[in-house]
Amino acid sequence: MMLPQTPPQNSGYMIAAYVIAGAILLGYTLSLYLRARRSLRP
Amino acid sequence: MRMLRVGRWLTAIGLVLLAGVYVRALAYTPIEATQGMAQKIFYLHVPAAIWAETAMILVGLASVVYLFTKDPRLDRFAASSAEVGTVFCAIVLTTGPIWGKPIWGTWWSWDARLTFTLFLFLIYVGYLLLRGAVADPGARARFAAVIGICGMCEVPFIHLSVYMFPTLHPMPIVLQPGRPRLPGSMLETWLFSLGVFTLLYVGFVVQRYAVSYLREQLEALAET
Repeated sequence: MMLPQTPPQNSGYMIAAYVIAGAILLGYTLSLYLRARRSLRP
Repeated sequence: MRMLRVGRWLTAIGLVLLAGVYVRALAYTPIEATQGMAQKIFYLHVPAAIWAETAMILVGLASVVYLFTKDPRLDRFAASSAEVGTVFCAIVLTTGPIWGKPIWGTWWSWDARLTFTLFLFLIYVGYLLLRGAVADPGARARFAAVIGICGMCEVPFIHLSVYMFPTLHPMPIVLQPGRPRLPGSMLETWLFSLGVFTLLYVGFVVQRYAVSYLREQLEALAET
């Protein structure tokens, strides 16, 4: 008899990946902003 | 500067839509039966990988044309695309092992797809280091163009590695011609995410291009 399969509990990995990807993208956005500000400074 | 403003707006819209991708992936896509919630990393990992590879192809193409025309705009674009490609490649190389650990039981395996992707990242880093190390703009652009072309030649190996070598990495899922196919909600979310990463790529490159242009203008002013 086949038992109903429950998905594995691994949401921590998903949260870690989403946080890291968001942090990398936000960090790069900030880096571009700061570099542009420095270039525009008279 | 208009280009900088356009880039900032595109990036801001992209980041807001990225939050939409997060919400959609968490709330509107089913939990995969065998992989659980970790499968949802797919919505970030695959679009980032597509743009990490596409960015290097664009670097290579711009570099080839630059070597013939010596147009500084192409060199500026190649440098911008390489930097943004490095960011997306970093996302691939961090989200990939986080996905791999619960599914494969290991953070990393020296199989073909993973190793070629790491190699792409190292080419990106080498490209950026070289640009920082050579002072003469002409020589810098020429040397960087050669690395960019080498990087472009590596991209097909990443794509074909799952066919050429035994690997832990799965075969293409979205673009495979046969079954099983992705359910509609998963495919829609993935396509949405791909669109958002495309917008972010364009926004980042436009901003980075504008920063390079401003910096060159400042250097020219300083020399006079």
